[in-house]
Order: sequence, then structure tokens, then C-alpha cells
Amino acid sequence: MLRYLMNRIVGLIAVMFIVATIVFVIIRVTPGDPAAVMLGPEASQQDISALRTQLGLDRPLPLQYVTWLGQLARGDLGQSIFLNKPVLSALADRAEPTFWLTIMSLLIATAIAVPVGILSAVKRGTVLDQSVLSFSMFTSSVPSFWLGLLLMQVFAVKLGWLPVSGYGGPDASIGTRLSHLILPAVVLGVVNSALITRFIRASMLDVLRDDYVRTARAKGLTETRVILKHAVRNALIPILTVIGLTTALLISGAVVTETVFGLPGVGSLVVSAVLRRDYPVIQGALLVIAAIYVLINLFIDLMYMVVDPRVRY
Amino acid sequence: MNVRTPRLGGGLKGVLAATALAIGLTMLSTPALAAAPTKGGTISVATIGEPPTLDPMSSTADLVGILTQHMFETLYTFDAKWNVTPLLAEKLPEISADGLTYTIPLRTSITFHDGAKMDAADVVASLKRWTETASRGKQAAKLITSIEASGDNAVRIVLKQPYAPLTALLAMNNSAAVVMPKGKLASPLTEFVGTGPYQLKARVPDQYIQLTRFEGYKSRDGEPDGYGGARKQYLDEIRFVPVTNANTRIESAVAGQYDYVDSLPVESRDKVRAGRSELVMLAPFGWPRMVLNTKQGLMADVKVRQAVQLALNEEDMLFAAFGNKDFYTLNGDLYPKGYPWATQLGAKVYNKGDAAGAKKLLDEAKVANPTIRILTSQQYEFHYKMALVAAEYLKVAGFKVDMQVVDWATLTQRRQDPALWDVFITHSPFLPEPALIDFPSKDAPGWWDTPRRNQTLDAFNQARTPDERVKLWKDVQQAVYDEVPFIKVGDFNAQAARAKTLEGVTPAPWPYFWNAYKTAK
Repeated sequence: MLRYLMNRIVGLIAVMFIVATIVFVIIRVTPGDPAAVMLGPEASQQDISALRTQLGLDRPLPLQYVTWLGQLARGDLGQSIFLNKPVLSALADRAEPTFWLTIMSLLIATAIAVPVGILSAVKRGTVLDQSVLSFSMFTSSVPSFWLGLLLMQVFAVKLGWLPVSGYGGPDASIGTRLSHLILPAVVLGVVNSALITRFIRASMLDVLRDDYVRTARAKGLTETRVILKHAVRNALIPILTVIGLTTALLISGAVVTETVFGLPGVGSLVVSAVLRRDYPVIQGALLVIAAIYVLINLFIDLMYMVVDPRVRY
Repeated sequence: MNVRTPRLGGGLKGVLAATALAIGLTMLSTPALAAAPTKGGTISVATIGEPPTLDPMSSTADLVGILTQHMFETLYTFDAKWNVTPLLAEKLPEISADGLTYTIPLRTSITFHDGAKMDAADVVASLKRWTETASRGKQAAKLITSIEASGDNAVRIVLKQPYAPLTALLAMNNSAAVVMPKGKLASPLTEFVGTGPYQLKARVPDQYIQLTRFEGYKSRDGEPDGYGGARKQYLDEIRFVPVTNANTRIESAVAGQYDYVDSLPVESRDKVRAGRSELVMLAPFGWPRMVLNTKQGLMADVKVRQAVQLALNEEDMLFAAFGNKDFYTLNGDLYPKGYPWATQLGAKVYNKGDAAGAKKLLDEAKVANPTIRILTSQQYEFHYKMALVAAEYLKVAGFKVDMQVVDWATLTQRRQDPALWDVFITHSPFLPEPALIDFPSKDAPGWWDTPRRNQTLDAFNQARTPDERVKLWKDVQQAVYDEVPFIKVGDFNAQAARAKTLEGVTPAPWPYFWNAYKTAK
């Protein structure tokens, strides 16, 4: 077990190194100048060059790369050009909305997908099953920004039940902040429920054919007990996998949703950083997101041990 | 501000006066349409994004000016007719007979947000920082010999040659010559202490910037007059909230989520009108232009530039960009009617769409490869649409067009390199003083630098009286038409939205809220 964990951690470091290099190269070769963006449209070329020197952007790329790797080794993600503060601090400031959005979206996605997926498998071939399949195809195809704008139109603009955008002012209560997250969470939850629904359905269909399910029924257990106690438990491994993948997808989906709803989370920070060419923030945010992806995968793999006693590393 | 007020004929006045009396008597028993201002309240203002800095000297971005003009003040500012008017200065400067010495008396009893009293030493130190840090200050610095205190309550600026735009540069709110305490002039700025009617309470980047009323503020006497005159400070607090997505700003305006929503796409007009906010239209707001690269490439030849000017149909370009004649005006002159700088010199060259004439000029130029690289961005959708229409008219005139559509950050980088583009598209608000526009600087992309340009601009900048300057501006305008460093496309309007409970906001290119107040719902 320890050896397995050590191997995974070494793998994490290797992935981080590759991601850091790819991100560095892509951003640096993309045109656009953070100094020009910061100084405004009428700044002179001399001013822009002076700011580039001040920010170290005029140094040779290999030197910038080595400096960047050295900082990473010390756990330093650098200083945001635009915000003039450490990248880690900038990310920490923005983590709260993204964290709650991810949790709420995941809860909504699983709350939709679990009962619907199980029912669809149990009632395979019926009108209910066909409806579920069609609905999940629709929700997986619909762009999240379109759904977001539609829900905004209905619930925020026309009905006025929920706010359009933002995260509440400086004196907003927790309730107010959560109300700002409801629509975005519904958007992400609905769009991502489709994949989980299909996986649950497929996994349940496999399990429902197994001998021990027939044995359980033959023993006289109620259908509910057969499904929930025996079938679902054995169908959990693929379901856990897809929930792990979905959590990772939710973080990246937050980029679009946060922009549409004006949420000051990590997703919208990445978008702003790209538009203003805030290289350290783009690099740092993508590295942190990549690390979260890898850690979620590790966590899911460890959860297999809990769910299935046969799995041991 | 150019808000048009209709003028009534004599006979109509009597009828309307009687009607007004009748209406007035009826209204005695109904609530007043415009409530008297009351102190108090907090407003939220949705802006287009997060400002890159809160140091008004270090950026020319309009957003920086909009925010920081509430916290910092300049010696001068602009009144409702765009004349320079004193703000921290006591009055307009005394200018010596040779035009080289400006003596600026300062108002006394002005306090900074930290409680310190403002004096001439603070003003001198701030102006010196401005000449070192701000792009407009560096432009002025080339002509300034010295800046020094003249006693405790006046400063003296000595020039190398007469420079009429100086007071306008001292009045501008971005790249601004604001006054800060001399002990707090670090670069970069770490404390944001000014004399303005509102002070910084908190800034959470990409979430909000919170300004609260500065109780120690000393307003000018009298009534508000544009950016000048009295500043009443009715509101307790102003919060600026960045809402970068234009669609989200539109929906917020329709839903009435913010007290003021800046910069709404004009095509949302009918939707906003049907919603919970009132529409605010600033007409005209600014002008888009196609800037030509006079330094290198195809456009270095004036005949080619004249061919481009003749080929274009600005009417079609504006219609494609804005979709509705309420949102633009055809006008090739650099300033619209209502400004002292307005001329009517564009008739021969503006909006001609003369493909044959353009082709003739192009042939005379004997260009080996008539491919125009147009650099534009969909980040400003109207730039892109104008570029598409312009490209078609240029093709009919015999040009080939290479459209390069990039994001704004890439465009601002590429336009600094004369090898990379022939035409790029930009826009700006109408600036009260022509010297504030970028093209008079030879460093500005486009790099217009000819003997005629230098002669006309120097004469304009060294003119001693406003009347003389207006007269000499016509020569600059004509030089622009003849040498074509850029082509103005037209005038366009800007749109914003305010809550029905928000009053006292005057449509302005850089919205301000120190005279705004909230009324009961």
C-alpha cells in the first residue's frame, strides 16, 4: 500500500513537471503583452518596454523557464502581474466560490443521476427508460453557457427569484452568497448529470444480470433491498470513477459558468488572466487544477478499496 | 457634455406655459416627479472589468479614470461645456505674456483622506511624479523647464515654449496629474490617498471596489457644472463591481440588479427599456477610426492612404457595426457639432465609396503587392463588423485584404511593431482637448511624422488664445484629410442603464457619482 502511494506521488510530480512545461511554452509563444494591457491604449512603446523590464518579461525564455521551475520547487507559484500579489494568495482568495459551486453541482448531479440511473436500469426498455436516455442526451449536448443564460432569463430576470450575477457585496450573508450559486450549480449539475446517469444505468444493467442478484431474489428479499443493498453496492466502482471524472469536469466547466454568472472563482480568474496575459496566474492556476485532477483520481482509486474489499494495492 | 436641448419657437411658448401651470396645479397633490436629493445610501455600479491599477497616473485606461476620479483630484477639470475649470486650483492659471510661465494659485484648507493638509509642496511633488510616471506627463515633460512652489499656496510651471494644451493635460482624469501627499508617492503606489469626495475603503480584485464618503471633503461653492463646480457627496458609499461579460451586464440591467450598469451594447436598447432600469444614452460618445501605418509597408505611400480613404463607404460600415441609425452619426471630422473644434472639411473625401477614384490613385502609386493587412479584434464587435465591410469596399477598389482577427491583448502588442500591420482599428471617446488624442504623439502606432504634421500641430499647440487655436485646428484637420494618417469612421453613442431610484447622474464619457442620490422606490 505504501509502495503504491509512493508510486502515485512520483507520478504526480512527473505530471506536474510536464504540465508546467507545456503551459509555460504555450503561454509564452501566444502573442499579447501583459505590460501593454496594464498600461492602457495610449501608453508609449518606451513605457511598455520599461514595464516589461521591471516584470522580467524581457529576459530570455530559457532563463524565465528555469526561474519558474526553481520557484515551483520551492512551492512558490510566483507573483501575479496584474494583481501584484502571490499567485497562491490570489487563488486562495478565489477558491471559496469555486469550491462551493463544485460541491453544490456535484450534489445536484448525483441527486439527479443516482435515482434516475437506477430506475432507468430497473425499468429497462420502458417509456421511462427511453425518456431518461433522451433527456441525458439532451443535457449532455446542451452548451452550459446557453443553459446558464436561459435559466438566468427565467429565474433571475423575469421572475426575479435569484440574482443575475456576482457573489454578493462585502456585507453579504452566507445565505445571499449561496443564492448566487444556485443557478450556476443547477447549470453545471444538470449538464454533468447526463454522464453519471448513463454510467449508473450501464453499470446496474451489468450487475442486475449477475447470479447473486438472482439468488437474492430467490431468497425472497424485496426488490428494493435487492437493488439498493446488493446491486448498487456492486455497481459502485464504475460509478465512483465517473463521479471522480465529473468532479474534474466540474472544475473546468466552472470556467465558462463563472464567467457567465460573474462569479469571482478560480475559473473566471483563469479567463481574466488569459485576457490580460497574467502569465504567472495562468501557469499557477493550471498547475493547481492539474494537481487537483491527479489527487481526485488517487482518492477515487483509494475509495475502491473501501467499496470493494477484493481491491488491494 | 453634448446633451441636446430642443429650443422652442415664440408662439408655442405661451400655450406651453399655460399647460405647464395646469399640470403644476395638478401635481401639487401628486408625488414630485424628481425628488429632492437626500443624503445617504449605497449604490453598486457594474463596470466592464477590473482596473489594472488604482494609480491614476500610471494608466490611460478609461476604467481607471472612471474609478479613481472619485478618490483623487486634479488641479483642473472640465465643465459641462468641456472648458477647463479649476478644481484644486483656486482659479485658472495666470500665464505670462510670453506664454512660458504658468502660476497656479491653490485652494487652501484642502485635506487629504489621511487628515494631512494639502500644500504647494504636495502639488509640486505630485506633478513631478506625473511627469515621470504618466504617459501624458512625459509628453508634457519634454516642454517643461521646471515645476516649483511659489509660496505655500501656489505652484509655478515654466515651459521651454508656449504649450496651450497644458491646462487640459492637467485636467484629464486618466494618466492624470492628481495631487497626492508628498510622503505617499511610491511607485508602485501602495496607499491610495487623495483629496476626492470618496475614499477607498476596500478592494477585492474582480469582486468589488468599495468607496465611502470622505467627511473632510471641501467642495467648491455653487452648483455642479459637468465634472467641475460643487460635488455634493449625497451617497454614503459607492461600490464598483466588475461584470466582464456583456450579456451578463445586459441581463443585470434588465433585472435591475445594479444601480448603474456601464457600457451596454447598443443592440440591447429595446430589451433594457422593457426591463427594470432606465436607459442612459450618451450621444455622441466617441469615434472609431482606422489607423494607417505611415512608417512601413503599403501605407507608407500617401497615395495609397488616399486611395483607401476614397474607397471607403463609412455609412455602410457604421450601419453594419451598430445596426440602427439612432446609435451613430455620419461625420468625418474629428469632432462633432457642439465642440469648439468641429469643422466641416470632410465633404470631399469622406464617405465617398469611390472605387474608380481609389483605383486610379492605387495605380498611380505603382504598388507591387496591394495586400492590406487589417488588424482587428472581435473583442470589440463593432470594430470587427466595420473591418468586414471596409474589406469589401477595398477589394472593389483593387486592393487585396488580409484580415487578422486577434484578441485585444494581441492587438495591443502587434500594433507596436510597424512590420506587422497596415491598418488597425480602434476607438476613443471624444476628448475635450485635441492634444489628449494619441495621434499627436509621434510614438503612437501609425507614427505620423511629416513636416506638415509638425508645422500644423506646433502652430496649434503654441497658439496663445482659444480663438486662435480653434482657427489653427482647421489646418490640423485638413492635414489629416490630405495626408490620411487615420480615417475616422463616424460618431457613435454609448449606452448605460440606471436604476429608477438613482438620480443625479449626468450622461458622461467617464460616469461619475459624486452628485448622485437615491430616491424612495
